[in-house]
Amino acid sequence: MILNYIGNFALFFCLILSSIIFFTSILVLNNKNSFFKRNLNELLFFKFFFTLLSFFSLVILFINSEFSNETVLNNSHISKPLFYKISGTWGNHEGSLLLWLLILTFCAFFYFLKSKNRPSDERLLTIIFQELIIMGFLFFLLKASNPFNIIFPVPDEGMGLNPILQDPLLAIHPPILYLGYVSTSIVFSSSLAALMKGNINNLWAKDIKSWVYISWTFLTLGILLGSIWAYYELGWGGFWFWDPVENISLMPWLSLTALVHCILVLEKRSILHSWTVILSIITFTLGICGTFLVRSGILNSIHTFANDPERGLYILFFLFFLIFLSILIFFIYEDKFETNNKNLNFYSKDFSIILNNWFVMYFLSVILIGTIYPIFLEVLSNEKISVGPPFFNKLIIPFLIPFLIFMSIGPNLKWIKNNKLSNKLNLIFLFILSIVIAIFVFKFYSNVTLNITILLAVSFYLFFITIKDFAKRNYKNYSQMISHFGFSLLVLSILLNSIFSNEVTSNMRVGDEIKFFDKSIKLQRLENTKEANFLKLIAHFKIEDKDKIELLLKPEIRIYDKPETITSEAAIKTDIFRDRFLVVNLVKENDYLNVRYQEKPFMIWIWISAILISLGGIINILKKNEK
Amino acid sequence: MKIKIILLVFFVLITFFKSSYSNDTTLENKINKNLRCLICQGQSIYDSQSDFAESMKLVVRQKIEAGMGEEDIYSFFKLQYGEWILYDPQFNSKNFALWLLPILIFLAGGIIIIVKFGVSKKR
Repeated sequence: MILNYIGNFALFFCLILSSIIFFTSILVLNNKNSFFKRNLNELLFFKFFFTLLSFFSLVILFINSEFSNETVLNNSHISKPLFYKISGTWGNHEGSLLLWLLILTFCAFFYFLKSKNRPSDERLLTIIFQELIIMGFLFFLLKASNPFNIIFPVPDEGMGLNPILQDPLLAIHPPILYLGYVSTSIVFSSSLAALMKGNINNLWAKDIKSWVYISWTFLTLGILLGSIWAYYELGWGGFWFWDPVENISLMPWLSLTALVHCILVLEKRSILHSWTVILSIITFTLGICGTFLVRSGILNSIHTFANDPERGLYILFFLFFLIFLSILIFFIYEDKFETNNKNLNFYSKDFSIILNNWFVMYFLSVILIGTIYPIFLEVLSNEKISVGPPFFNKLIIPFLIPFLIFMSIGPNLKWIKNNKLSNKLNLIFLFILSIVIAIFVFKFYSNVTLNITILLAVSFYLFFITIKDFAKRNYKNYSQMISHFGFSLLVLSILLNSIFSNEVTSNMRVGDEIKFFDKSIKLQRLENTKEANFLKLIAHFKIEDKDKIELLLKPEIRIYDKPETITSEAAIKTDIFRDRFLVVNLVKENDYLNVRYQEKPFMIWIWISAILISLGGIINILKKNEK
Repeated sequence: MKIKIILLVFFVLITFFKSSYSNDTTLENKINKNLRCLICQGQSIYDSQSDFAESMKLVVRQKIEAGMGEEDIYSFFKLQYGEWILYDPQFNSKNFALWLLPILIFLAGGIIIIVKFGVSKKR
């Protein structure tokens, strides 16, 4: 009970500290008052400390299952395992916003600690913008989604956490993803501050780069975790559904990817000043947009918006305020850029990075329009349409082809000068080799379209070229090579996976056997067991191929009581060539099970390649710290 | 240079119009993946295990066995439940902006790059 008050007051205290920091920073900025300047570090630390206090109060409330707290009541119950009681803290709207705030205050503190080589007025301005964001979130948290609302009389039992969220991967998915989202706020604030002080130059690019890499790496990892979870938990073996909630995490990732590249051009060539600032603004606004839209439920249905007008309106207001503020600052201070639009050469690294940005922004616009168009259409004309995977595939795949070609050649070019590609013969040989492989696949698999064949050829091309680059042992660009190699592997494994996947669906009783190519799948027996908070029905399957090699798979059906839900747990056997994926579910009022068996080649390589992509980012962060 | 960009755009558009993304093992799965399960949160009937999705899958199978083509089946469902049920939005008077806006943004981006940076090929 007492923790409710501690948590709540800690938040109020945060708000007071935050406004003190905000106003003193403005004072210091005008009068150069050195007293506050020295203490700013401590103030920032205390603010972080009080958010931490508030956060831990909520965690302990969850651990102790104190149902006097409304958030705990709605999202937890006594028989839930301890691990999920803790992760339940951020498995809901209020708690996850508190986590968001915690990371936000930590970022502000950490930035101030690590940015001593920047001009002091730029640092102060960054903190001012950061406090503006923090105060906005604090108001929202206290006014519209307070995690410490007290319920009286105290109920005996809570409502429980949605069982599909009770999963180890999903426990760490939100914190990682939030680290990615929230650290973009520093890039946002710092770019606005540097813009106002006329500091957007190669030195700024060099310093802010590590924050860009940090956000990008965490965001990549966060999306990967969510995707793996969707693969084994959400049913039928898909890992990316082009669902609004997924799209919304991909959008800031794309604009960050553009920024990761564009900031290099700013650092090396002192061009693209305004574009870098625009990208920083876009990235952060998309990040906020994403978390808010997902959390408020606007996306799944517009009607949820009307259910809680207070939250929805606040979101819109805050978002528009930030966008308006940044546009205003941008246009007032735009003339501070060094405008030296140097001519670019076609065969240079700078130009290929601009091409990269062009395509990445196109992909971003496809996803943005595909996600929000249905909302606008429904509001304007009351007509409902769905925008799903076919739309995104049609608009993205053709553009991926030239994109991958540029990606193969670009990193081999040099800065500034037009240069002859060294080893042209090599490049042409690899290109022909890739085409031959793709045609081979095209000939033997009738369901492959021409489009996919071309895509396959260019992704093989990128794959070979990145491997060739490794052989050159150019250690300077190790991180870039690993990330690009990872990306080529990702496209390739997704393609091969979708081309060569096979499946069989059937209704089966105990003792039944079905055929899958030269294999036989037999349902041997069913088994019932009881776990802490659910009943478990285990189906024992035996899969036998013609060489009599056996494989036992045990998919489960779980019946949770709080809240009452039935989930299917797939049985997955992973090796380096393929995943064997078996899932069953109950058919109402029937005594048989609905069974789906899939063989999905190169599944593990999709995860490995995403890990490689983020590994490139990690190496970059470490490399910077070493210097 | 400009010719190269034009060629590129042309190439992209050609593949775009030719594209029909189908690599599902059967027609049935392809159709199932394009139909929204109306009682689920953003899942196709292929991905869903709800009773509604199961009965829809049966209807799809019956229609295929009765010899109906892919487009006929879509228009059948569209007539019954509205366009909301199709995941692949059609190109019509309501949706043309959905399809064209991204392409226009792409072209605008290309124009900005050409105008901003006089790209030269001189070595």
